[in-house]
Amino acid sequence: MSFAAYQPLLDFFLLSLGFAYSQQVVLRAGVFSIATPAFAALGGYCSAILVQRYGAPAIPSVLLALVIGGVAGFLISIPLARLRGVFQAIATLALVQIVVSLAYYLEPLTGGATGIHNIPKLVNTWHLLAVVAVVIWFMYVLSRSGVGRAFDVLRQDEMVGATLGVSIARYHALAFIISGALGGLFGGLQSLYVFTIEPEMFGFAFLTAVLTYIILGGPRSVLGPIVGTAVMVALPEISRPLAEHRQFVQGAILMAMIVFLPHGLVDGLEVAWRQRQARRLDKEDREKRRAHAVAGP
Amino acid sequence: MLSLALERVSKSFGGVQAVSDVSLEVTPGQITGLIGPNGAGKTTVVNLITGVLRLTEGRIRLGDTDLTEANASTVARLGVSRTFQNIRLLKEASVLDNVMIGFHRQEETGLAAQLVGLPSSWRESRSLVKRAQALLERFGMTRFARHPAGALSYGHQRRVEMIRAIASGPRVLLLDEPVAGMNDVEAAELGHIFEDVAKSGVALLLIEHNIRFVNALCRHVYVLDSGRLIAQGTPGQVMHDPGVIAAYLGTS
Repeated sequence: MSFAAYQPLLDFFLLSLGFAYSQQVVLRAGVFSIATPAFAALGGYCSAILVQRYGAPAIPSVLLALVIGGVAGFLISIPLARLRGVFQAIATLALVQIVVSLAYYLEPLTGGATGIHNIPKLVNTWHLLAVVAVVIWFMYVLSRSGVGRAFDVLRQDEMVGATLGVSIARYHALAFIISGALGGLFGGLQSLYVFTIEPEMFGFAFLTAVLTYIILGGPRSVLGPIVGTAVMVALPEISRPLAEHRQFVQGAILMAMIVFLPHGLVDGLEVAWRQRQARRLDKEDREKRRAHAVAGP
Repeated sequence: MLSLALERVSKSFGGVQAVSDVSLEVTPGQITGLIGPNGAGKTTVVNLITGVLRLTEGRIRLGDTDLTEANASTVARLGVSRTFQNIRLLKEASVLDNVMIGFHRQEETGLAAQLVGLPSSWRESRSLVKRAQALLERFGMTRFARHPAGALSYGHQRRVEMIRAIASGPRVLLLDEPVAGMNDVEAAELGHIFEDVAKSGVALLLIEHNIRFVNALCRHVYVLDSGRLIAQGTPGQVMHDPGVIAAYLGTS
């Protein structure tokens, strides 16, 4: 089969990867936010409305989608600064509900339940590839910087972070802003790629898909979302019968991962490999000491 | 050179008076001891100093700076570091990464520069890695740099926590039962490290259960019992104080 047959799949993978990074960056900072669908919807409607109704050019529309997502991320981080864990999840889910409801009710602007159609297709595979390459680079730089280290310590032990001078409110807000900007950016790109936008696209299925990418890949490494998204996007294609039971397969994979590899494929294997190295070094140590003892002084 | 001073500090949890009217001073360049039986309020004092808990009454000062109302990250930024009674390392992160986090306060590259990956940010990261490696070398932990911290022995984990606290470049270092569960050899090794750190001008507060260890290291010791200071002075004076003997051994 030619590459062309797989091109839509590649495009879907690239768009999904953007949402996966939007979800990963908050989880990495220890924020249990599931607001990515809300950011995606905001960005998506932003670029759809600008391009389809006002004939705005693509680049400023998508950039505005990014800014709107980032601003929404910052605003939601303020009331959420005092919440943790499952309460954050519930509060961010409420944000998703609000945004989706607005999409339904602001009919003159959003088209209500039927959404907006005939959006010009201004985004192609090359655009998506370019944007994704920049995002991967950005995530790599982030993971190597002091910001990445601050995120890691907050995820693993907030109190240790605070006693070393890491400002929890500041870094949680930063994570929300980045998550919002990425969600808005890829929401904006998606609208200009799939011709259409409607509220249902940002529902429960979208949310579980995005979470699955991260749970499968891992919340820390840059490679994690790539692997997680690739597996989930390719799975229904590799085995056609699975496609019909997509939700079931997704649920089963989620449960298996949480039980057996709670850090995800990439992060989990990395931790396991490090622990093996550690054990090997210890064994070498013991053998050296034993050899020394036998030889005597 | 700044000393840390607690002035008539009290803390109550509801009706329970955990700490009452405690005044003490931790001076730079030496190790000050804080001892007391279980439940005397020692860890509460640490939590009050570091801003984890708010005090009910009194004042805490670092030099001329008032820490009474400061929160945990502000206190840390002003140069107060601590170790925890129950070791709190990032277990899956490597030993090197655990030490690197200690440098957070000293990072100078702005957020924006870090996020877009300006060369200044890379340079800083590289120089911090070098400094972390130097610290590991100094404390004989180089070969464990890539180990996940959680895979180390108890004594080594304690040492990593120490190194992380030292990496943060503290002016005041609070050590909450640092040798609990260690054998005498490991404890003595750690004791030498504390003396080194004190010599470099840091004010150390050693919170301990192990009186022998405190006597060997401290010039001035405070004794806490049921949230009150019952004695202070040189280890020799304190050990012969009838109140202290009663608190530790009970009255006949």
